[in-house]
Amino acid sequence: MAEKRHVILGAGTAGINCIRTLRQLGDTGEITLISAERPYSRMVLPYYLNQSISESHTETASARQLLAWKVKTVFGRKAASLEPGQNKLKLDNGEEVEYDDLLIATGSSAARPPIPGAEGPGIHTFWTLADAKAVNKQISPKGHTVMVGAGFIAFTCFDGVLGRSGKVTIIEVAPRILPRMVDETGARLATEWLENLGVRVLAGVRLKSLQPVDGKTRLSFEQGRGFTADTVLLATGIRTNLDWLRSNVSWVEGGGLKLNQGIVVDEYLRSSVPNVYAAGDVAETRNLVTGAQEVHAIEPTAQEHGRVVAANMAGRNVKYAGSLLMNIVSVGGLDMASFGSWDDGNAEAITGLDPRRHAYRKYLFRGERMVGAILISPSKETWLENDVGMLKGLVQAGSPLGGWKEFLRKHPFEIKKPFLAARTTAALIPRTTLGAPTPSPRA
Amino acid sequence: MKVLKFIPDRCTGCLRCELACSYVQTGTFQPSAAVIRVAPLEMHTSYAPYTCVQCAEGWCMAACPVDAITINAAGAKAVLEDQCVGCKLCTIACPYGTMYMDTGRHKATKCNLCEGNPACAQACPTQAIEWTEGEVTDWLGAFAGERAGTNLTGLARFTK
Repeated sequence: MAEKRHVILGAGTAGINCIRTLRQLGDTGEITLISAERPYSRMVLPYYLNQSISESHTETASARQLLAWKVKTVFGRKAASLEPGQNKLKLDNGEEVEYDDLLIATGSSAARPPIPGAEGPGIHTFWTLADAKAVNKQISPKGHTVMVGAGFIAFTCFDGVLGRSGKVTIIEVAPRILPRMVDETGARLATEWLENLGVRVLAGVRLKSLQPVDGKTRLSFEQGRGFTADTVLLATGIRTNLDWLRSNVSWVEGGGLKLNQGIVVDEYLRSSVPNVYAAGDVAETRNLVTGAQEVHAIEPTAQEHGRVVAANMAGRNVKYAGSLLMNIVSVGGLDMASFGSWDDGNAEAITGLDPRRHAYRKYLFRGERMVGAILISPSKETWLENDVGMLKGLVQAGSPLGGWKEFLRKHPFEIKKPFLAARTTAALIPRTTLGAPTPSPRA
Repeated sequence: MKVLKFIPDRCTGCLRCELACSYVQTGTFQPSAAVIRVAPLEMHTSYAPYTCVQCAEGWCMAACPVDAITINAAGAKAVLEDQCVGCKLCTIACPYGTMYMDTGRHKATKCNLCEGNPACAQACPTQAIEWTEGEVTDWLGAFAGERAGTNLTGLARFTK
């Protein structure tokens, strides 16, 4: 049989992990990588902004690496449409690419809010390398930077912004910051922490317009007084890059690809068209904790998806166990992490709060199993106890905790005893994503 | 394959492994900088040394967005310090809680088996840590279940 032609659409985390894994598994098929941007890691852009790393350090696959992997690259192009019946992908310049199997890993884009002036000069999103470069140029230690939106994405770049701006204001339309990452208590701790750092936090305010005035930006609100900023960063959400598929109705009606929130895939990450796979922010897969089909637009999920797709392209028949929601962000030196069903309103919640130390724990239980967790502690303390990973392990393993649940109610800051005694380590050791040990990424 | 084997009922909680580890890893005698930690299971009676099991998946290694975690000659997942940007993704991906952050230098840090000559095993005065041929195993679960279990029973008033 002739070698397969693999086409990888998108050079983000899912796409690059898929390519690396194909080669690690000894697949010698032809690989074509099509991407609007060159491969880099969004995850590390905040470190480029705070000037602790150079631009080349953001690269995830250098030209030399791609050559070594024998990858044919088509950069600067986007997909325009798909003809699944003919195994053909059409690009935005009209070029057609044929495939034997295709990975759609087109990721997400930053969404600007629908308000006047949001597209104006000096108004930035912080999502791409180009965005990071533009912010880098404009931000100034004497200036006033305003972050619009106070979710996880906003705070990934916040520490970089804080170190490089004179004054920082955060505005959020929801009644509190980090509405989709921590609960109210967590948001209160973060707000206090930010205010102690001299950051102004305005929650529950609705932005009306952004106007350029003398090289600055005037922010006006539905209620209350406006003010001016030197730099405005919009972190008002992300949108999955599926418009090019959604607008392509001819084949949707003709039994084409099934779309919901994302591309609907089976446990092998195959879409309703068997030789078309989806991964990362555009794929709707099983939530490891609840079993529901969901889009989890997070880095670790994209990485696992990419590897599982590669294994299946290489004929290994690997099932994806499911995606575990997890986030960690530092808010000016306050570590905030959340796992799994941390906002499950029907779960039993056990909490521990030590306001003096700015420390907070919340454990969500369904019966004897921990299904979600929140951890907040100053960075200087987080890594002394090192609870973060153990919480992930408890949620991931889903081991019954028996009497240790009541122990945690009395001692919410002592996670290591329940972790060890519930044999969490033994439950986790056999688990791998691909059913085999992972080779070194640099081998 | 050589692994770190823990025999927790030999551990006296003396913390020499932590001191040796921090010295070899960071050049300082500072238990809080060690990547092996002694877990107290009952107040002053039972302890267990705990560090990375060098799992087959290498959740930390797979999660790293800049390939800053690799496998060294001793078979350990090891952080390449000049590549690590300090994003902490490995710390939430590792389900064992054995990825650490050096908050002073903003780098992730973990057990690298001292490149094949683990200082903790050498320093342990009671042979509670051995560097030996074996499989990746949960050395502590059963012991922790029994000893820490007194926290859940009538003995709890004795321990706390």
